[in-house]
Amino acid sequence: MSTASTKPRHLSDRQVGLILVAPAVLLLAGVALYPLVSSIIAGFYHQSLLSPDRTFTGLANLRAVLDSGFWHDLRNTLWFTLWATVVPVVLGMALALALNTRLPGRAALRAFFLLPWVLPGVVTSFIWLWIFNANYGVLNGLLRDLGVIHHNVDWLGSPGTAFMAIIVAKTWSSFPWIALMFLAGLQTIDKALYEAAEIDGAGRWTRFRKITLPRLRPVLITVVLLEGTWNVQHFETIYVLTNGGPAGSTTTLSIDVYRTAFSAFDLGKAGALGLLWMVLLTVLIVVYLRVSNRVGED
Amino acid sequence: MTTVDTTLRTGRRRRESPLQGPSKLGAVLTVIVLGVFTLLPIYWLIVTSLTPDGDAFTFPPRFWPKHLTLHAFTTFFGNSQLTTYFVNSVVVTVAAAVIAIVVSSYCAYSLSKFRYRGRTAIAYFVLSTQLFPSTLLVIALYLLFNSYHLLNSYFAIILSYSTFTLPLCVFILKNYFDTIPDELIEAAKLDGASQLAIIHRIILPVAKPGLVAAGLFAVIRSWNDFIIALTLAGPKTMTLPPGLVLTYLTQDQSSWPGLMAASLIVSLPVIVLFLFFQRHLTSGITAGSIKG
Repeated sequence: MSTASTKPRHLSDRQVGLILVAPAVLLLAGVALYPLVSSIIAGFYHQSLLSPDRTFTGLANLRAVLDSGFWHDLRNTLWFTLWATVVPVVLGMALALALNTRLPGRAALRAFFLLPWVLPGVVTSFIWLWIFNANYGVLNGLLRDLGVIHHNVDWLGSPGTAFMAIIVAKTWSSFPWIALMFLAGLQTIDKALYEAAEIDGAGRWTRFRKITLPRLRPVLITVVLLEGTWNVQHFETIYVLTNGGPAGSTTTLSIDVYRTAFSAFDLGKAGALGLLWMVLLTVLIVVYLRVSNRVGED
Repeated sequence: MTTVDTTLRTGRRRRESPLQGPSKLGAVLTVIVLGVFTLLPIYWLIVTSLTPDGDAFTFPPRFWPKHLTLHAFTTFFGNSQLTTYFVNSVVVTVAAAVIAIVVSSYCAYSLSKFRYRGRTAIAYFVLSTQLFPSTLLVIALYLLFNSYHLLNSYFAIILSYSTFTLPLCVFILKNYFDTIPDELIEAAKLDGASQLAIIHRIILPVAKPGLVAAGLFAVIRSWNDFIIALTLAGPKTMTLPPGLVLTYLTQDQSSWPGLMAASLIVSLPVIVLFLFFQRHLTSGITAGSIKG
C-alpha cells in the first residue's frame, strides 16, 4: 500500500504523463494504425482472404485497379462527397438561421430536429429503403396521388435516381447536427453589429453576407472538413440502399474496397484501392489537422 | 453591464422580426418545410411498424392506416435470434463505453495537464485515427482476429469499439479538463496528494459533466455501429444493426412492418438517452469547434 502511494512521486511529470497516455496510444496503434498499414501493404501482394499464403507482386495490383475500377470509384466518391456535404450544409444553415430567430418553442424544435441525427445509420437507411421501394413505397404512392408521376419509379434501381435517393437519405440524417453547429456559432455573434449595419442601410441579404457568413467561417470550415472526411469514407447508407448498384452507378471507394475484400476475397486489389484512397484522405486529413491544430496545442 | 444592456434594449421599439437571419415569415416557412422533411419519414416508420403484414403490401399505401396492430413488436420479442442480437448490442456497447471512458480519461488528462515532448504529436495521432476509413480497417482486423481465432467473439468487437470511440472521448474530455484551473492541481500537490489521487479524487469528480458527455458519445457510437459487427461478429455475437440487415434484407420474404418495428426498437435506447441528456450531448458536439 505504501509503495503504491509513494511510488508515483518518484516519477517525473514527463514519465507520469507518458504512462497515462500509453494505454490509449497502444490501443490506437494496435487496433487502428496497424490494421490500416497492413491492409495497404497487402496491396503489394497477391493475397486471398481465404488463405494465409501470399506472394509479392509489386505494383501489379495497383496497375490493375488503375486500369479497371479506380477512376470510376473515385468519380463516384467525389461526386457523393460533394453532394452529401453541400446539401446538408445549405439546409443546416437555413435551419440554424430560422431557429435563431425568436420562434416560440425553440428548445422543443431543436430536440425534434435532432432526432434523425441520433438514429442508428442503418435505421435511416431502412426507412428510406422502404420509402423509395418501387412497388409499395410511400413516395410513389404520394407522387401518383398528386399526379406528378403516372407510373411507379424504381428509385433505387435506376442509375440517375439511385444516387439522388442516397443523397436525400444521407442529408436527412446529417443536416440536423450541422444546424446545431451553426446555431452555436450564430449565438456568438454580437447583435450590435446588425444594428449598426441596419443603420447604414444594409438589407437582410447584405447583412447575412457581410456579417453572418464571415463570422461563421470557422464553424463552416470545421463542418465542411468533417463532413468531407466522413463522406469520403461513408459506407452504410450506400451499402443498405443500393450496395453500389445499379450497374455500379453508386459504387464508391469504400463500397468497392469492402466488396473486393469480402465478396471477391481479393485482399491485394482491396489494398491497392485502399492505398489510392488513403492518398485522397491524407490530403483531407492534413487540411483538417492544420485547421484544428488549436485542439492539439491550445 | 447586463442591466444597462437590457434597459437599452427594452427602451428601443420592439422589432417585428430580428435583424439577424431571415424575416419571421421566412423563418417559419423554413421550419415548416424542413420540419415536414424531418417528420414524414419518422411518421412512416411508426405507422408501418403498426401495420399488419398484409396491409404493407398494397399499393397505393395507406397514408392514414386503417388497422393498427402490435404484431410486429410481439414477433420481434418472440424471435430468439433477434433478442440475442439485442442482448449482444447491450453487452458490447456497455463494455466498450466503460473501457473507452477509463482509457480516454487518463489520456485526456495527460494531454491537458502535463507538458512533455511529443505531447502535440500524440494529440495529432489520436485525432487523426478518427479519420481512418473503417472499411479499410475491418479488412485487416478480420485477418488479425482470425489468426488468433477471435472472430465471432465479444472480445474482438469490444476491443474494436473501445478503440474507435477513443479519439472522440479524448477530445471531449481534454476540452473539459482544459477548463479546470491548474491551481486546483497545484494546491493538491502541496497537500502531498499523489498523481493518482489527484486524478481520482479531484479531477474526475469535477469533470463529471465531461465524462457523461464522452460516455454518451461512446455508447451512441458503439450502439449505432454497423460495419465492425457486420465484419467481425458471427451469429452468436452479432449486434442488432447488422443483425437486422441479415434478418430482413438478405432473405426473400421481407416483412416491412417487422423491419420498421425492429428499427424502432433499436432506435429507442439512443432516443431515450438523447432526450435525457440533450444538454450534455449538444455541448459535447459543439465544444472544440466553436473556439475561434
